[in-house]
Amino acid sequence: MALRPISPQIALPGVTPDPSVRAYIDDALTALIRELTSSPADSQPSITLRCRVDPENCIINPINGALEAVQRKESYRTYSWPGNTAYESWKFTVIIRVLSMIDQALREGRLISKRDIYYIDPAYFQSQATVNSVIDDLAYTIGVNRLALNVEAAGKGLVAGTLRLIRESRVVLNAQSVSEDNLIPRIQDTDEIDVSNARWILAVFHRLVRNSYHTRALAGEGILITGKGYPDICTRRFLHRIFEAETNRNQRRLPFYALVDGDPHGLTIMSTYKYGSLAHLHENAELSLPPLQWLGLKIADAADETQNSSGELSFFLAARDRKKIVSMLRRSPIWASDGVEPEWCAELQRMLMLNVKVEIEKLYDDGGSLEEWIDRKMFRQR
Amino acid sequence: MSRQYLAWGTADNAHPVDIFSVAVTDKSVLSASGAPSIKVHSTLDTEFPLVQSLDGAHTLGCHHIVTGAKGTRAISAGFAGEVKAWSCQDGHWSADQVVSANLTNVDAWAIALSEDGQYLAGVSQDGHVRVWDLNDNGTQIRDHETKGSFGTCIDLSPDGKFIASGHENGAVYIFKTEDGRMPFSLSGLVKPVRSVAFSPGGKILAAAGDSKVIVLYDTSSGLQIANLSGHSAWILSLSWSDSGEYLLSSSFDGKVKVWSIDTKACVATHSETEKAVWSAKWLPKANRSEGFATGGANRSIAFYREATGG
Repeated sequence: MALRPISPQIALPGVTPDPSVRAYIDDALTALIRELTSSPADSQPSITLRCRVDPENCIINPINGALEAVQRKESYRTYSWPGNTAYESWKFTVIIRVLSMIDQALREGRLISKRDIYYIDPAYFQSQATVNSVIDDLAYTIGVNRLALNVEAAGKGLVAGTLRLIRESRVVLNAQSVSEDNLIPRIQDTDEIDVSNARWILAVFHRLVRNSYHTRALAGEGILITGKGYPDICTRRFLHRIFEAETNRNQRRLPFYALVDGDPHGLTIMSTYKYGSLAHLHENAELSLPPLQWLGLKIADAADETQNSSGELSFFLAARDRKKIVSMLRRSPIWASDGVEPEWCAELQRMLMLNVKVEIEKLYDDGGSLEEWIDRKMFRQR
Repeated sequence: MSRQYLAWGTADNAHPVDIFSVAVTDKSVLSASGAPSIKVHSTLDTEFPLVQSLDGAHTLGCHHIVTGAKGTRAISAGFAGEVKAWSCQDGHWSADQVVSANLTNVDAWAIALSEDGQYLAGVSQDGHVRVWDLNDNGTQIRDHETKGSFGTCIDLSPDGKFIASGHENGAVYIFKTEDGRMPFSLSGLVKPVRSVAFSPGGKILAAAGDSKVIVLYDTSSGLQIANLSGHSAWILSLSWSDSGEYLLSSSFDGKVKVWSIDTKACVATHSETEKAVWSAKWLPKANRSEGFATGGANRSIAFYREATGG
């Protein structure tokens, strides 16, 4: 098994291993061995995971603005070998294989990535998403974050702008440089993020982060951040820390904006930045971004812009988009009409009414008009 | 020649999210929004008080609501795909469980109800135009297949002879109810059609949408009679006055216009809001000046009446 040695940049911070992880793995593997060594007739190897919570059993915690599970009865799902279905036996072995790799990583004091795990046997795991969800389910079952399992997703978030990351009195990241991608690092407890020169922070799609808009914005110098789609935990923790530091500073409020596609995925991305995701309910309190404001793109923006530009900015919804919107509207503390974001709900319903979605890339491709548009919008929202 | 319509009153924040559809009777306005409740406001009193709230009508919100001329039946269609029936007795609306039960398998996005409330017409997301007989257990009596483009709007002519449907690809179809034949496939609009409406006499069909013009068609020949231009945003809703003299239109940028059919000109423009006005409907005239009601993204219902003595 090819595990990456710890490189200096990703060295585990002086974190003492969480004893509950060790205990869980030992219990699970011991139970498994006990079952396997008993007579075949009595043998019933199994592993039990805590079930994810449905949106209807979640709330937005008014204190920290995070998506969290309401107090409720826990539900669990047990996967047995050989199980009742082919799916169950496959899932059982996937869980055991992932768990044994985590066990090994912990014993050797190494970090492994989700990709490392997946590429050990892609044919068997079938997709990266399978591995990711098993890892998340294990972390959730034990009640720790993924890092406590020594599993780190390969960082994918990028930052550009007037921002410095100071670690032990050294600047380890200066995002002012526009010539290279600045990968958002995993934040450590003692890190300090200096955003004192920034007038705004905008979470946006990744092509914009690479073209140095932050140096030209009418609203002054700022910071562009991208999660390249759904933001990972690193990116969200990074933003959460900036928000916490800002809250403590008291005098000045740095505005946080999101610019996402006006489609169900874009809005879910924005919601992940602001409230967190269902996959990490137990961590959202450390990841939420309550002051996040919605800059766009809304159907009304596209309707406006269409007056001035030649191209259409809207597209018909696909059947799967409509299905996703309807499932979002159902029972969610975020998307329901009596939820925390009635305007987000209304926009999803407008998409259904008009059967359209709007895409930023279209505005971006329209030669510079996106930058002018963001300039106008950021002023209007102040 | 312009006409004046005065702000008559509003039901402010009648709904917590966008009002997508209003339907009128001689006594009230029913409004449906992205929230679960259907609201009933009285038009007998110029305070336009809320007289009833049909709570929990559509869990995920409601996009269309229609009434028959008698004002005893309403049909509503919700975002979860469900179609429900409501009946009114002595001014009080209640769920019509019997008819609703017959509508559980109805696949329709936009809907229209015949004057007498007996026939429900609907156009589906895959472009089928269907008719159900509500007095005969909701039996489906027509199913017209079109080219499969999303059906955005539908209307029944007041005399019951025609059905018109508008589609996302710009197509407008007119069907004869008598034999189910499609005499006309109307051209003229290339962008999504958002509203179709028959004149009270059934001689003219008005259609409009993202092309920002209203096209009037002669229903006997299928020919275009006129183009009414003046809106600068997507047109979302059309409604004919009782006399057929005036056509009301509303658009995505919050404008509401009244057009004279005689002169083919816009005679009044209202811009009380910059937000989408999803639905605009004339109120039944009934011994008083002509007026209309609008509802949209500003979440309020606005009432207007013709300025008299001018």
